[in-house]
Amino acid sequence: MSKENTEDTSQGIDRRKFLSVAGVAGLGTVALSGCSTDRIEKLIPYMVGDEDNVPGIATYYASTCTECPAGCSLHVKTREARAIKLEGNPGSPINRGRLCARGQAGLQGLYNPGRLSGPQLRNADGSFSDVSWDEAITLLAERVGAAGASVAVVSGAGAGTFSDLLAAWVGALGGRLVRYQPFDNEALRAANQQVFGRNEVPTYDFAKAEYILSFGTDFLETWLGQVENQHGFAESHGFRDGHMAKHVYLGHRMDLTGMNADEWHAIHPGSDAAVALAMANVILSERNRAPNDANTLRSVLAPFTPERAAEESGLSPEAIRLVAREFASQPSLAVAGGIASQHRGATEACAAVNVLNYVAGNVGQTIHFGSGRPQGDGYGALEELAAAMDAGSVDVLIIHEANPVHSVPRAANFAARMAKVGFTVSTSSVMDDTAAHADLVLPNLHALERWDDLQPRDGVHALLQPVMMPVRDGKAAGDVLLEVARAVGGPLAQFDAASFEVYLKDRWAAVGRQRGRHDFRVFWTESLASGGLFDEPAVGDVVRLAPGARNVGYQRPTFDGEGDLVFAPYPSSMLYDGRGANKPWLLENPDPVTKITWQSWIEIHPDTARQLDVREGEVVQLVSPHGTIEAPVYPYLGIHPGVVATPLGLGHTAYGQYADGRGVNALDLLGGEDGGGFLPYLSTRVELRKTRRFQKLAKTEGNPRQLGRGIAEAMPFAAAVEGKTVAEVHGGPHEVNTELEQEAIVGWAEAQREKSLEGDYAGEHPNWGMAIDLSRCTGCSACVTACYAENNIPTVGEREVVRGRELSWLRIERYFEGGEDGEPFSTRVVPMMCQHCDNAPCEPVCPVFAAYHTPDGLNAQVYNRCVGTRYCGNNCPYKVRYFNWLSYAHLGFDDPLQLQLNPDVTVRARGIMEKCTFCIQRIRGAQNTARMEDRQLADGEVVTACAQACPSGAIVFGDMNDPNSRVARAGQDHRGYHVLGDLNVRPSVTYLAKVQHGGEH
Amino acid sequence: MTAIAQDRPTQTHAEVTRDVVATLGTHGRGYTIMLGGAVALFLVGLITFVLLLKDGLGLAGYNSPVMWSVYITTFVFWVGIGHAGTLISAILFLFRSPWRTAVYRATEAMTVFAVMTAGLFPIIHIGRQWLFYWLLPYPNQRYLWVNFKSPLLWDVFAIGTYLTVSTTFLVVGLVPDIAAVRDHVSGWRKKIYSICSIGWTGSDNQWRHYSRGYLYLAALATPLVLSVHSVVSWDFAMALVPGWHGTIFAPYFVAGAIYSGVGMVFTLLIPLRKVLHLEHMITVYHLENLAKLTLFTGSILFYAYAIEYFVAWYSGVPAEQTTFYLRAFGPMWWAGWTMIICNAFVSQLFWFKKIRTNITALFILSIFINIGMWFERFVIIVGSLGNDHIPFAWGQLNPNWADWGILAGSFGWFLMYFLLFARTFPIVAIQEIKEMIPMPRKRTGGHR
Repeated sequence: MSKENTEDTSQGIDRRKFLSVAGVAGLGTVALSGCSTDRIEKLIPYMVGDEDNVPGIATYYASTCTECPAGCSLHVKTREARAIKLEGNPGSPINRGRLCARGQAGLQGLYNPGRLSGPQLRNADGSFSDVSWDEAITLLAERVGAAGASVAVVSGAGAGTFSDLLAAWVGALGGRLVRYQPFDNEALRAANQQVFGRNEVPTYDFAKAEYILSFGTDFLETWLGQVENQHGFAESHGFRDGHMAKHVYLGHRMDLTGMNADEWHAIHPGSDAAVALAMANVILSERNRAPNDANTLRSVLAPFTPERAAEESGLSPEAIRLVAREFASQPSLAVAGGIASQHRGATEACAAVNVLNYVAGNVGQTIHFGSGRPQGDGYGALEELAAAMDAGSVDVLIIHEANPVHSVPRAANFAARMAKVGFTVSTSSVMDDTAAHADLVLPNLHALERWDDLQPRDGVHALLQPVMMPVRDGKAAGDVLLEVARAVGGPLAQFDAASFEVYLKDRWAAVGRQRGRHDFRVFWTESLASGGLFDEPAVGDVVRLAPGARNVGYQRPTFDGEGDLVFAPYPSSMLYDGRGANKPWLLENPDPVTKITWQSWIEIHPDTARQLDVREGEVVQLVSPHGTIEAPVYPYLGIHPGVVATPLGLGHTAYGQYADGRGVNALDLLGGEDGGGFLPYLSTRVELRKTRRFQKLAKTEGNPRQLGRGIAEAMPFAAAVEGKTVAEVHGGPHEVNTELEQEAIVGWAEAQREKSLEGDYAGEHPNWGMAIDLSRCTGCSACVTACYAENNIPTVGEREVVRGRELSWLRIERYFEGGEDGEPFSTRVVPMMCQHCDNAPCEPVCPVFAAYHTPDGLNAQVYNRCVGTRYCGNNCPYKVRYFNWLSYAHLGFDDPLQLQLNPDVTVRARGIMEKCTFCIQRIRGAQNTARMEDRQLADGEVVTACAQACPSGAIVFGDMNDPNSRVARAGQDHRGYHVLGDLNVRPSVTYLAKVQHGGEH
Repeated sequence: MTAIAQDRPTQTHAEVTRDVVATLGTHGRGYTIMLGGAVALFLVGLITFVLLLKDGLGLAGYNSPVMWSVYITTFVFWVGIGHAGTLISAILFLFRSPWRTAVYRATEAMTVFAVMTAGLFPIIHIGRQWLFYWLLPYPNQRYLWVNFKSPLLWDVFAIGTYLTVSTTFLVVGLVPDIAAVRDHVSGWRKKIYSICSIGWTGSDNQWRHYSRGYLYLAALATPLVLSVHSVVSWDFAMALVPGWHGTIFAPYFVAGAIYSGVGMVFTLLIPLRKVLHLEHMITVYHLENLAKLTLFTGSILFYAYAIEYFVAWYSGVPAEQTTFYLRAFGPMWWAGWTMIICNAFVSQLFWFKKIRTNITALFILSIFINIGMWFERFVIIVGSLGNDHIPFAWGQLNPNWADWGILAGSFGWFLMYFLLFARTFPIVAIQEIKEMIPMPRKRTGGHR
């Protein structure tokens, strides 16, 4: 009931007043409680509950992630008709039940405070005002009807029914459709066309490769679906039964993928083609297992000697030969086409790597063509459209699921060109950079609120379904197209479906019939329940060298400008092309490499920094011929001394409260011109100028070195094969105690153990524990966002992170090794959460028993009882207890973000200590389910949020008392160790040491 | 030679009473300014505390991992200050040190107010201040009990006991003096002092019971001098934090407490004897003896600092070594050196009699002692927490206005009470001074 109705009473007494009076008079006591507020809100009672919506029980809906083109399938967890968590769909061959941080943060797109409440029409003065959907559709129909063939659409939507409808719709008008994604691998596709005659992106089987060679390609972060790549990478590069692939990374910057390499070589930017060709030359001349037709390349490759490549790249000729031989001697895989290495010669480089793969016999083995990955039209097509806009030949421009004003360099003037179009329309659900320049904004429904489907590759028909009522008054873009078609008629009259849902179902009915499934209702329900159709992947096509393969070559790529430093923007593994910048989960999840949150930064080699006399946090200007950016410096050993790097994704001109005015857009330094069908990201030289200002970096790292404390342990491959323990690798424990002391310590530990077997702690209870395999963990930080989502962890914002107050119950610690005094530089990562110590130092120091030990081995924290002395936090050697300094629950969940909160987990008040609970709500949930079903809890039934999300399957959780559980067996692994084990706190988390190739050749 | 002469007051009984009573009631400009300053500081602290209640502890400079910082530092500082009082009044009483008489009342008052100040901090510094009473074991329908394993609970008892005993000790010692004041004032003040003197007439019987009772109280208070700060030190020593986890902590903290307490006695008494015109009662002789005590405890501190570094090196524990290295050469080197210079080195200046007997020098050095001892706790707490076992989680504290506001407020609160006390009650023990005066021939009976 609305306010107007209730107050429209001529007698001067309204319903509320009457009821209040009645309540006082004892007529209706219920009304008494209604007197406290003057605001009337719509309350919709559960008169008749939805049958699949039981209060207190989660309902899962299958859907598909749209946060990048990879097309991972989702299970959306809903509670009381609200989506509260996104998890991977185990049925999908792409993500196999896992989900990256960006995918999980899709939820914050759904509940984003910046979402528009309805269509927005630009006024003459440039501001926007609300219009109704009817008015908006009518207006758009008028414009489209008038424009006819001069309608143009830019769409970032993935392949699927909507894209097909859009293509047909635009086609019927005779207009122009540009399918545009910022990182579209145009160069890679062109190279595949050249070398193999296939204009497509193949699938890469990292799991099968035993030698992985990456030419500056971040396949663990943004390149072609990180979840799938990580899974494959962990399968091959995770140590198991004496096997582990070797990973070599050649690139100017050690990104997360480079961090996971056994060897990293900082080659000069743009020299990758020379190196790849030289390697192919070496392999071919030594003839290991190259296919016959590769012999034709012999003469082509002959001039590309390792010596010449060494000169170009800065590697030694021996290193090139060595890597080439190793590469050719086992099933291997070389990848190129990473956005961060997309220089003007990127097509050449990808072609060279194609040849390298081909001569090593990898094509058809670890690289499969014919995957049917959808293709965009590329940056070139967008540029053509922009030129047409400039020329005034576009009357109506519709921009859907794309933000070219942000993702195209400012030098390309996209915004100015939009102004030359008669009428521009955006379907963005938030006021993003592009929508802010549009005449009409028709907010699309979020992917979790609408019907749709996607075909991210052959064999995968993934469905999207509305999992809840829309948060805001949006309309699915498909429905907008159909309604406009109905209003325009004429060429569009053919699109007569009542709604996009009907249109979609018609298509699926046809799919069903093709498959012999004539009962559509059953077929549809089954498909929806499983998230779509996941067919066995087709056997890859056999490809041979195309004539163009003989044209491979190398030319030193050109760079704009005269500066001393090459500028290398790279896709942020959290923010991707910038679409993550309005999601606090992603802004606060530290960059896996630098551990910086919420900010833009400039990476520079410490030697270069010393030469230029700049230090960490010093704000500097980078000046290229195309523009200037200003950001604080982060000295990083993992970057080529001649390169400075900045992540993409920030510097939005409009994108909601979290992104506005935050950071800089690295693209401002680039030129806008097409580099041959693609945008050459690595194409400028910059000059560094000092500003004499400092800005504290919002990084979560304290000290990047382990200081010999054995936190993130690693062992050489050879030692791992021999089954050595960490202590043996170190040459025995670093003993500082006398024998007597040693006996006393061991005796004490033993006494503690025996004590732990008594009473409540004896075997009848489970003893929850975790094992984390550091040879699988890549540090991608998907688990961190999973933990935030599952446990209602508030984001604290840039200022509080600077003050060291982030509440990340689970953090990925990243340590640097070597890099100074000529030692090779490498990194290690270790996920750190509450270790649930059996002999926990936090428990005895709490004066009020807020920290206590549960009978099943958990280190529990009773928030209600906590008074906030913080003694437990001080005494925790792992520093995994986080104090709620301010009312972060209020500060961290701006309306309507609070709707994402997990009702099973307390939202912590200020003034209390909080920490990882081993997802106790999941443990108790699974135990309750088992009890209801009158059975024992099986191993693997309790999965913590971090373990569930982990794309590489590094985390195993279970009952340590069950000798057959996976976690107990992992705990017995010879690589197992406890962090700070000599403190005798007896942690429940066992880490399995990382294994590193190196030194064995 | 001069010792006897110096330690015997030269006045008559009547003069003593007159001079001391003269410190009460009327007061000069200097006193008003000091009291006004104290109240202003207190208000600063009060406002800060209200803001902390409203918005949370996050207003202060805390971070993870430095979860205890300025507030706990100040807490330990005040507990430490409290120690000199009991040492001087109880232990020196039992040892029959004659030089304590002139200063013990002031130090005892200082003790009580310092412990009162310290007692506020467990409330101020916790996250949910309104639930501080959960730290007390009281029967409740929820069957919730406190954890007697926690050193923080030991603190509650140690501070509670200390406050009770030292207050009792102060009040009992005051009774004959209040009676003396009662006999010299008139009007409403006489009524109030009459009530406070709880019927003291100075009869032989009363004196007999009084002396016995005072002796027992002294005996009861004596172990507290050692135990309270030992318990406070275990807040740290019981924890795993490198830089805290040391067996030397209890004696080290007790020595530090007495050192800081005596320092504060200098800081308070030197101006006060001037303002209240008590120079002839609190003489250089007394102050020099206190300076000797400072030298002794300061030297213990010197040894403790040295042995901490030695143990860190000898233990072979890298985390321990790093912590101590960073104390001297890390980002907080200035705090570390402040502590070492102000405590270990400044105390050594008291080897020189010229310095010991120069009142200006004593006052200046006492300020250094106060600063040094505050920084000792700051270095131990903040310096150790900032860099413990996990390097990735290290973090440096950036104290801000909310930290300093509470620190200032604690000084205001303490000084306010001390100054009010000094104006209301005899700051010099009348009856004990009189005991020192050679017996006159003819007893006039009672007090005048």
